[in-house]
Amino acid sequence: MPARLSRRKVTEYIADQLIAGTRHDDVIRQLAAYLIDTRRTNELELIVRDIEYALSERGVVLAHVTSAFDLTETTKAAVRDMIANHTNAETIYQKQLVDPDVIGGIRIDIPSRSFDSTIAHRLNTLMNYKK
Amino acid sequence: MPELSITELSKDLRAAIANLEATVGLESVGVVVRVGDGVAWIHGLRDAGYGEVLQIETKTGTVEAFALNLMEDEIGAVLLGTDAEVSAGNTVRLKGTALQVPVGPELLGRVVDPLGRPLDGAGPIKTKQFGLVEREAIGVMDRKSVHEPLMTGIMAIDAMFPIGRGQRELIIGDRQTGKTALTIDTMINQARQKTGVVNVYVAIGQKLSKVARLVDRLKEEGVMDQTIVVATSPSDPASLLYLAPYAATAMGEYFRDNKQHALMIYDDLTKHAVAYRQMSLLLRRPPGREAYPGDVFYLHSRLLERSAKLSDKLGGGSLTALPIIETQAGDISAYIPTNVISITDGQIFLETDLFYQGIRPAISAGLSVSRVGGAAQTKAVKSVSGNLKLGLSQFRELASFAQFGSDLDEATKSQIDRGRRLTELLKQPQYQPAGIWEQVASIYAVTNGLFDKVAPSHIKDAQTALLTRLWAEHKDAMRTLNDGDKPTDAQIKAIESVANHVSIGFEDK
Repeated sequence: MPARLSRRKVTEYIADQLIAGTRHDDVIRQLAAYLIDTRRTNELELIVRDIEYALSERGVVLAHVTSAFDLTETTKAAVRDMIANHTNAETIYQKQLVDPDVIGGIRIDIPSRSFDSTIAHRLNTLMNYKK
Repeated sequence: MPELSITELSKDLRAAIANLEATVGLESVGVVVRVGDGVAWIHGLRDAGYGEVLQIETKTGTVEAFALNLMEDEIGAVLLGTDAEVSAGNTVRLKGTALQVPVGPELLGRVVDPLGRPLDGAGPIKTKQFGLVEREAIGVMDRKSVHEPLMTGIMAIDAMFPIGRGQRELIIGDRQTGKTALTIDTMINQARQKTGVVNVYVAIGQKLSKVARLVDRLKEEGVMDQTIVVATSPSDPASLLYLAPYAATAMGEYFRDNKQHALMIYDDLTKHAVAYRQMSLLLRRPPGREAYPGDVFYLHSRLLERSAKLSDKLGGGSLTALPIIETQAGDISAYIPTNVISITDGQIFLETDLFYQGIRPAISAGLSVSRVGGAAQTKAVKSVSGNLKLGLSQFRELASFAQFGSDLDEATKSQIDRGRRLTELLKQPQYQPAGIWEQVASIYAVTNGLFDKVAPSHIKDAQTALLTRLWAEHKDAMRTLNDGDKPTDAQIKAIESVANHVSIGFEDK
């Protein structure tokens, strides 16, 4: 029986394939078959996160940007610059999410890192400060 | 209701806001994948360090954990609080520090948990400094050999197995044989003899009722002012039991590093090993002998190695350790006992049989040893204790042999008689540690045959009479003797004359 491959190795292989320009459909089909064969479909969410991380290490960053209101183009560009500065990314994909629960400010989630300057987060931290 | 201080509130709020401003940035984050039995498995946080503190954001607040398993795909972290509020999907951040506890003189007289939070209801503890829970032991060149005595006040120990400052002396025995009692007496003796040694008592998974009784007793004896009690109960998470001795050692190290002397009492390391085994099994580390993980030796060796006598260059402070190990049916060859025996500088073995024969403290003269304390024994006690240990060991063997017949030569008979008297003499009630002069006078009287005519059953009465008269008639001489120097001829003469007088009243009829 072959040794179980770690998630990191699997996702690095997938990221390499994507960067090399292999067709997305083929890569996804390969991964799906592997997960079913090794009964690891429950790790799907984590594998997606790890692929995002592996891609970010290769210069492709997918950023989820959360704010209470729609962002202006100027702000979006500023966010893009900030991510580029912090990650040395060559390609940045931004996903904009509007969530009124954050009250104000902005949250940027990139693989394994987060920038949270939302009012909700600050209030939460303040609440825990003296606990 | 306490008066609300607006200035204080404003100051705190400003500090909190400043703290917030400082921390906003691109932070490493992870996510809880699964949680249970006090262990959280975290995805992400690839830059987390071993033992680093993690903060898990739950709906109701933040729960802290520390990373113990750094694996390729995930991190196993042990929660420092309850796992009830933590759920899969919670965000996890790095705190950026290793685990620290408050240290300093502000902790004296307090009962705290392993994170330094007060348990005694006496208000917050405002220390100025923090100490690392896991810290490397002092190096070779920064140490000095053990040479100063740490008097326990227990005659059997101070005379036969002396303990020096900076030594690690194991106290081992079955349940209910007086292990904790020995350490309490040692703490009391530090206060009575005004040695200035700070006591740090660590209760690892001890019943809280027992801890409460201990604290009451220490208060009663006036010892609590120079004592810190770090308490964990069986209902605490295994992580707290695991941390307790390390956190307490950090508190003790503060005094060691500030030219003072501290005494650590780990009660007990058997429960500590069990808590670590529980954590390791939950972290899916491979089990070894008795299901303990492979690094259970290192668990205790790195803890006890922190006890040391510092060099003069570093101030000459010391940290002495009295770890306790509970054996099952007197089996000292079990896994954890043999480990700790090999780590420490000697052991005091308490025997159940002796305990039930009324010989208390039930110290086994044959199996106990102090490997480095000889150099630290006070000259006064050393001058009278000589071959006390050998004599007592031989007596116990001879006594069991003599049960088979009565035809014994005179030399053997006298050895047995002397042994009986010595055994009686070394019996000592709890909470009554003896000073140096009391030990010297008592041992001298018996080992030099001054009490040979006293019936063994009256030895304790004769000892009391001897000490009372010596104190009444030769107070100054005894005070000088208490300094620990070798007894002068005048002091010896005083002891001999009083002992001879006293023995007449207690003759064997």
